[in-house]
Amino acid sequence: MLTRRRMLQLSGGGFGALALNSLLHADGALAAPALTNPLAAHPPHFAPRAKSVIFLFMYGGPSHVDLFDPKPELEKWHGKAIPVWKPEDAFMGRKTQNVAMKSYYQFAKHGRAGIDIAETYPLLARHADDLCVIRSMHTESNNHGPALFQMNSGFTLPGRPSMGSWVTYGLGSESENLPAYVVLLDHQGAPVNGALNWSNGFMPASFQGVPFRSSGDPIAYLTPPKGVSSSQQRARLDLLRHWNEEYAAANPAESSLAARIASYELAFRMQMSAAECVDVAREPESIRKLYGLDRPATQHFGRNCLLARRLVERGVRFVQLYSGGNEGPKAWDAHDDLKKNHDLHCAETDQPIAALLHDLKTTGLLDTTLVVWGGEFGRSPVAENGKGRDHHPKGFSMWLAGGGIKGGMIHGATDEFGYNAVEKPVSVPDLHATILHQLGLNHEQLTFRNTGRDYRLTDVSGEVVRGLLV
Amino acid sequence: MVGAAGFAATPSLEMGRKHWAFLPLRAAQLPAVKDAAWARNDVDRFILAALEAKGLRPSPEADRRTLIRRVTVDLIGLPPSPEEVETFVKDTSPQAWERVVDRLLASPHYGERWGRHWLDLARYADSSGFHNDLDRPHAWRYRDYVIRSFNEDKPYARFIAEQLAGDEVPGADEDTMVATGFCRNGPSNDDNMGNNKEQYRLDELDDVISTTSMVFLGLTVGCARCHDHKYDPVTSADYYSLLAVFNGTVKRGVPKESDEKDKAKELVRLQALIETKAKAPPTYLLRRGSLQNKGPEVPPAAPLVLVSNPLRFPEPEPDAKSSGRRRTLAEWIAAPENPLTWRVLANRIWQHHFGRGLVATPSNFGFNGARATHPELLDFLAARLIADGGRWKALHKLLVMSATYRQGSSVAADVRRLHLPETPDPRPLTQSSQSLLTSAATLDADNTLLWRGNHQRLSAESLRDSILAVSGKLNPQLGGPGIKPRIRADLLTASQRNKWPALTTEGAAQWRRSVYIYVKRQLLMPMLELFDAPTTTDSCAERMQSVVPTQALVLMNDEFVEDHAGFLAQRAVTEAGGELSKAIERMHLLSLARVPTAERLKQATVFVTARESAYEKEAGAKETPRQRALTDLAHVLFNSSEFITIE
Repeated sequence: MLTRRRMLQLSGGGFGALALNSLLHADGALAAPALTNPLAAHPPHFAPRAKSVIFLFMYGGPSHVDLFDPKPELEKWHGKAIPVWKPEDAFMGRKTQNVAMKSYYQFAKHGRAGIDIAETYPLLARHADDLCVIRSMHTESNNHGPALFQMNSGFTLPGRPSMGSWVTYGLGSESENLPAYVVLLDHQGAPVNGALNWSNGFMPASFQGVPFRSSGDPIAYLTPPKGVSSSQQRARLDLLRHWNEEYAAANPAESSLAARIASYELAFRMQMSAAECVDVAREPESIRKLYGLDRPATQHFGRNCLLARRLVERGVRFVQLYSGGNEGPKAWDAHDDLKKNHDLHCAETDQPIAALLHDLKTTGLLDTTLVVWGGEFGRSPVAENGKGRDHHPKGFSMWLAGGGIKGGMIHGATDEFGYNAVEKPVSVPDLHATILHQLGLNHEQLTFRNTGRDYRLTDVSGEVVRGLLV
Repeated sequence: MVGAAGFAATPSLEMGRKHWAFLPLRAAQLPAVKDAAWARNDVDRFILAALEAKGLRPSPEADRRTLIRRVTVDLIGLPPSPEEVETFVKDTSPQAWERVVDRLLASPHYGERWGRHWLDLARYADSSGFHNDLDRPHAWRYRDYVIRSFNEDKPYARFIAEQLAGDEVPGADEDTMVATGFCRNGPSNDDNMGNNKEQYRLDELDDVISTTSMVFLGLTVGCARCHDHKYDPVTSADYYSLLAVFNGTVKRGVPKESDEKDKAKELVRLQALIETKAKAPPTYLLRRGSLQNKGPEVPPAAPLVLVSNPLRFPEPEPDAKSSGRRRTLAEWIAAPENPLTWRVLANRIWQHHFGRGLVATPSNFGFNGARATHPELLDFLAARLIADGGRWKALHKLLVMSATYRQGSSVAADVRRLHLPETPDPRPLTQSSQSLLTSAATLDADNTLLWRGNHQRLSAESLRDSILAVSGKLNPQLGGPGIKPRIRADLLTASQRNKWPALTTEGAAQWRRSVYIYVKRQLLMPMLELFDAPTTTDSCAERMQSVVPTQALVLMNDEFVEDHAGFLAQRAVTEAGGELSKAIERMHLLSLARVPTAERLKQATVFVTARESAYEKEAGAKETPRQRALTDLAHVLFNSSEFITIE
């Protein structure tokens, strides 16, 4: 449960700053200036297994039947109608007919548990013993926009806080000088819904995801405009601090004024620490090569994976990386030619993701970092336009690694066609509840009051999938 | 966590009808007070009575500079000019304050400020939000309609009717059709519906029902889409009966991708929600909100808990162009007999003047909402609104003319005035009496009783507008299509298919008030977004006032602030002459509505002189060392807490 004091901190002095002061007095916790960083770390509900999350978001919808959920039945039914198909599940209407399409890829069993992984993910396959593949994911919408909203916020409509916002709200940040919730976009642009995907919804703006750019300033407005030197800036800030302190002293009840002074100091420090954090040139060459920064195909996603490790290392709570930007073939949205699309995106992500897992493991960070891989839905076992696959929400795969999750296991199953999640189905709220649980948060207790109602990330459902936990 | 008030189970209809907010307005009895001389009007009697009951006294009036800055920002969202400040400070007549108030209420900038409050509620934006965030090239007409309606002081009943039923009201014309943009402002999935058109249509109507009920009635009917409301006596049947009111509507002016590509094809000039047939389609209750789970047909109706007899929707004439259902609903919402509507409105107006509503949950007057701190006052104000024909300006004037509004906000001074039994005389503030601060706080910690003025932070728009006004560059042009000021190029790349121009410099076309900035849902203007402008996906009744380092970053490093700091430095020298102290004084007058203290003047002089000598050692700068040093000072003023705070 969040304390009253915490609630007031979150509000950033928005209502009754005097109330804050007096409550802090009552809590016996007043040490003026009481209010510093609204993202200050605070304890979870119970002992956590993970401190951070890295969500590898394969935007567009990777095909489960071509990557982690092999379906020999599709070979038999190839070119024929399958009995489970329903016309309303097809997003593309008439372009998608009930004609089964077998996978283009060969699968092999990997690791002690024999996890099936397609040939397009050869390096990732070496980490099979770390992966917990959920083959029974399902979601509500067969459309990118609503499905992205649901995977990110639990709801198919915009306006709700994203998971990163909830986590940051629940735990704060362990980093003094960096945002708590960072989004790393594909170099080709943002997914549809844009910034609404990492929105704070009805929470304060401090819980919004902060996109780090891959070139230039990592954070917007991190450096002074041209012609303003750092000594000039420091001189301004010194006078500003002096005047703001005077003003705060003359208005002792307004604790937001103290918070404002602190926010300028933090901003000044962020200018250096964020720039240092994104400077991957500081990494040894072996590490840069490990992530594929030396190859055109892998350099973009590789850099983001390396950044994710550097961010988590520095206490950032929630990092979301998008593979796939913009629309269509630039994302995993393989309507036209599945093989071409997935060849490309697997080649872009295989080495970087394998490097990330390796690196996290070597540094010990994997124990406290929960890695999540998946898209907003899967792809249909039937063909679209002969060579592609349509969106498919009723059964798809995701995997988890690290952060107290059992490695080397497969959870749940789809039917023989890969159409419906039939064994141990996992809903998006179930996944969210599980992620929160690993972070030490009870999804039923993590609530935020908005227009008179207590909201949850998981709304009225969600169950922790205990079978995945160590 | 805030404790959930009320009931474990949904209250019955009978209990619901006894809920305070749904009861008829009570004719207010002016309360008796001891210090009747303090009260300037009836509002003060209610406030003072509550203070006296706790042994508290109101704060003395704020000084004149504070007052004119407060009321000017409050009513028009801009700072007062030094001349306006000096005129008021020197005006000793008893009408001085009223003259200021009347001038501001007559200003066209009033509509820009108060219209913006309405646009928050109406989740206004210029793009669709979902997927590729399609432009809504005519949405701005709704924004202008709102601003115009506020400036005309349009009666609230008409304002409601135009927004819900602009095609059905008497005298329907293009302007009232534009008003129905209220029902069209929500996010929509026009460019990517795939196989799910009916689902998205229902989602959009859900947004209309949720927004309408929250904005006008302070009731969260949207919660009853999938099941009966958990806290309020609002059933799924009530929800689908409201859906029946809107179910016959169609959207006019839906942007298509082809419009995007073909600019010449501007066929639609409106963004309206209208009906085209007299007969509305049947509406069915959907169990658990699911299209696959149709229940019985439901008739149009107002939520049962709010009416003693079911609201009658007359059958339309066979040749009518619409069902008339929305007009019936709008007339019922705005009827003087509907206390909820008027309580909700009175509270919203109070909220913006005083920083917090008498009811702290302005869009939720249901069982789970907050109780009114001054219920009699709320009813008194609601009744006044009705008596004034639903015109807002009369209520603004009543509120800002009150002694309550004119109180100082200082706590240090309050300690001296704290009325304690063992210290009947006001004490001078000393080091030892600091402890009294805690006592004052325990009596009314968060100033709900209003024993002082509340500090308010400048809103996102007022912050940017104030910088423009103070630098002298504000272009006061009213209305028209949304403007797209400069956004750093590195921010543009993160957005999908943005049409935002990559400007390197700004001019008068961009230096307009922030209410005119194009609201692109996936690319909100960074400075506004960081200072808590609404996300626009849902109706926003109350903005956050967060304090985060990214706000500091944008004020420290945005070229906009840098440019206007330079303009302020130039302006101060132009207007005050070359003498340094005069320029510093002018900059303070412009930005803070006050002259610097001797100490402040000394600090500023030392700072400017030091910066100037640093610049004298550098070669090659375009500006003089003095101009650069004054720019530094102007930049500090724009960043200062005093600048961003309204006392």
